[in-house]
Amino acid sequence: MTEMKKFNILVVDDEQEFREMTVKQLLHRGMEAEGAEDGKIGLEMVEEGNFDVVLLDVKMPVMDGIKALRKMKQAKPLVEVVLLTGHASVDSGIEGMKLGAFDYLMKPMEFDEVLEKLCDAFEKRRIHLDKIEMAQMKKHMSLPS
Amino acid sequence: MAFFPLNLKEFFFCEKPEPLSGEELQTIFQNRYQLFRRLLTANNNALQAMAELERMYYGSSSYRMAEINSKITAIQINVYKMVNSLLEMAEGKYTRLETILDQISHNLELILNQKPERQQGPFIMPLSEISFEDRELVGEKMARLGEVGRLGLPIPTGFVFTASATRKFLHAELIDEINRQLQIIDPENLEGLYAGCHTMQELVRDTTVPSSLMEEIYASFDRFFKKDQKIATRSSALGEDSAGVSFAGLYATVLDVDREGLAAGIREVIASKYCPRAIAYRRRRGYRHVDIEMCVGCVAMVNAAVSGVLYTRNPNATQEEKGEEMRCNAVEGIGRGVVEGTRDADLYILRHEPFSVMERRLTGEHPLLGEAQLEELAAAGRKLEKHFATPQDVEWSFDHDGHLFILQSRPLQMQEHHEVVETGNNHPVAPLYQGGITASDGACCGRIVRVDKPEQAKAFPADAILYVEYPLPEWAPLLNRAAGIFSSGGNEAGHLATVAREFGIPALFGCGDVCQKVEKMRATVEEFTLDSTARCIYPGRDEIALRRQHVIPSPMTSSPVQLILSRALQLITPLNLNDPDSIRFKSTFCETLHDITRFCHEKSVMVMFNFGGNYHFPQAAAKRLTADVPLEWWVINLADGLREGLDKKTKTVSIEDVVSVPMLAIWRGIAAFPWAGPPPVSMRGLGSIIFQSTMRPELSPDVAAAKLNSRNFFLISKYFCNLGVRLGYHYAMIEAWLSELRTESYLTFRFKGGAADMHRKSVRARLLADILERWDFSVELRGDALLARIKKMPIDFLEERLMILGYLSLHARQLDMVMDRAETVEKYRQKFLREIDEMLAREKNKPGNK
Repeated sequence: MTEMKKFNILVVDDEQEFREMTVKQLLHRGMEAEGAEDGKIGLEMVEEGNFDVVLLDVKMPVMDGIKALRKMKQAKPLVEVVLLTGHASVDSGIEGMKLGAFDYLMKPMEFDEVLEKLCDAFEKRRIHLDKIEMAQMKKHMSLPS
Repeated sequence: MAFFPLNLKEFFFCEKPEPLSGEELQTIFQNRYQLFRRLLTANNNALQAMAELERMYYGSSSYRMAEINSKITAIQINVYKMVNSLLEMAEGKYTRLETILDQISHNLELILNQKPERQQGPFIMPLSEISFEDRELVGEKMARLGEVGRLGLPIPTGFVFTASATRKFLHAELIDEINRQLQIIDPENLEGLYAGCHTMQELVRDTTVPSSLMEEIYASFDRFFKKDQKIATRSSALGEDSAGVSFAGLYATVLDVDREGLAAGIREVIASKYCPRAIAYRRRRGYRHVDIEMCVGCVAMVNAAVSGVLYTRNPNATQEEKGEEMRCNAVEGIGRGVVEGTRDADLYILRHEPFSVMERRLTGEHPLLGEAQLEELAAAGRKLEKHFATPQDVEWSFDHDGHLFILQSRPLQMQEHHEVVETGNNHPVAPLYQGGITASDGACCGRIVRVDKPEQAKAFPADAILYVEYPLPEWAPLLNRAAGIFSSGGNEAGHLATVAREFGIPALFGCGDVCQKVEKMRATVEEFTLDSTARCIYPGRDEIALRRQHVIPSPMTSSPVQLILSRALQLITPLNLNDPDSIRFKSTFCETLHDITRFCHEKSVMVMFNFGGNYHFPQAAAKRLTADVPLEWWVINLADGLREGLDKKTKTVSIEDVVSVPMLAIWRGIAAFPWAGPPPVSMRGLGSIIFQSTMRPELSPDVAAAKLNSRNFFLISKYFCNLGVRLGYHYAMIEAWLSELRTESYLTFRFKGGAADMHRKSVRARLLADILERWDFSVELRGDALLARIKKMPIDFLEERLMILGYLSLHARQLDMVMDRAETVEKYRQKFLREIDEMLAREKNKPGNK
């Protein structure tokens, strides 16, 4: 197993078995992970918490994944979201990507695939944050003392 | 149009932009490179999902809407990623692609979500007023029964709870909840299927029938029946009228329902739409749940003395016998035992015309049916067959006063006949068992697995032979997976026999003590052969009997789901943008998702290729590879594919300058053996090629001459390589990404085209596929197009495979021309295998290698 950098993941899915199993496996790999059973709770946790990547099911009661994604991106533009679907309508695929989802995963999938995608998403977020930091440093340095 | 924004910019701002610094260029290039890799990955994924979708469509297995949706979503997302990456790479060009993709997606959505159009009608209709025309209102079974009555044949009195009534009963929230349950069910997981079905059926059973509906039901009951009359509630489903689809015995029939039990009887039938066997059957035959609606026939119980099933033809008869006989199964009392396969029945074989009883196989001492009754039945059968213009499967009863009632008449599931082979008495091997009744003919081989309870059904392995004591309809879900079925009891007229014939799997029923015989042998024999045509079971694999095995037609043919996929595929897979040199190779001519991928791929390669030129960035400009190997090879260094310290302005490189691991591996394969030049072509082969050229203008000698000299590009970085070999009539592409992270590593090889006819091109593709499969590639083959892949393997493993691909892409060229003789194919297969072995052995023995 490769060395993983520790990051915070939120798993939002109404399928209890999948959610709990994924959280457990992520914790086992040394990551911070929490679960939420619908889009609304997931959104609240994103707004309040400090998550790097969200694994978000598209088809859920209360608030579906696409709506939750839209609101999550409004609240925290830099949070990376990987959408998850078993039987979504075809349109929601592209809709999700247009709303800024990092990528899609199709159920059923192996845990390694999930992990790989989460790491890629985290990598993107890290690069993004680095760039912002760099830009701020440059700005700071070019300011007259 | 695509160039408009750029031109406009140039027009208004003629001033040249400031030249970029080396560092800035490097950053831009790195960014492009990332996008390019993202695009290539998405391209691979999209093409793979397209291939999978096509395999589903052309394959012989069933697929579900959920699988179609998920594949199409995968394709769309990857095409979206490609468009997105290309747009970013191409700085404002090709924006039209977004609109085209949106349009195609929108049209796909319409196709995938199309619902059947339904008629609205009265909630209750009397059977006496129904004809076949009303099947959209009352379902197939009751519409036919109404039609039987109109022919003047006796049918029981009754009325129908119509599809409109069922729609009123199944209110929106209930349907939502059922749909949610349906979506989480995986029909392959039998345990989940049984549990989910139970939940859905309970939901229906617990729902109150609206009082206004109940009032109409009671009023109809009182109109047609006496207060203490017992009736049967029978299923009559809508949307089952496709040819060759029986839907036999899937749904519930409730007998002896009284006035008080009406609501429960109706609910039970509606709930049976969600029983496991119906769900498994719909999945297998390509029906969505929304395609089927349930109506309920409420018909008087016949006080039956004798009942049974009449086949107006023998469904398993040979061509010669077909016109001759009717087959009539009969039991005492009601006919349930016949259709459920739980009772042994009298069998009467009747001659069509002039009527005669050809044979009686009785279960008791006396026949249940007299000659006059058989003649009356035969006359009714002939009338029905003539009216419906196809052989019929007729359920009937005689009451205690000797009156005949027709309870159902539907098309008889006939079976294609097989080649006559030597079996039975003439067979050289003695069968373990001989006897029983052929319910569906054919032959199969496999382990025998006995199932007695539904719990055991869950563990039934695919392609085993199913043994059951009685052929009950509830075993129907297992016929999805079984190679064949045999039973101790039962007869040819049961529902399960109909389903077996429909699925084309061999079925032998009524085999009595067969089970003990099999049990005795099981310790020493693992596999058995079931030959239901010759009514034999053999120990082991019996090749003679297995000649009866037949190609099972796709169970999805003409189904709603297949139709949807067929229409969706039209927007996905056809490739209209074939030739990048054509003036029609433009974004505006993209009509399918495949076109978009082709366009994006080609343009992205161009962007990478032109990067050096456009930005005066010599590191990225194409450099010619100087080497003692035929053909022209060029290298485009995407990042760190060439050694450090190389003169950046150099126009040529040698192989020693290359540090790209995958490219070096491919090159070792290319350079391993000198290419012998094109193989000698016979006059026949040459004639065909000239003929092909006249048929396909792009293959004309002039065009070919120009393209034979075309350049072959290696796009490289340290661990990435994409090689496109375009040689005259052939196109080969190798792409590899070697990574320490195994999950990232992949290797793909595509090969397509050729100048010879389709047959020879396909033979060559098959030859390549055979060789690659030997070397652990997973290979997909369609016609002359080959796609081979390996994923997630260690670097040294992939390097070896890249050498093989390098070798093959050079040496398999133009072979298609000589692929018309089996011995030539074999000669080349041997040569390739020998040389590959030699090449890999040499590599291992090199100093420094183990």
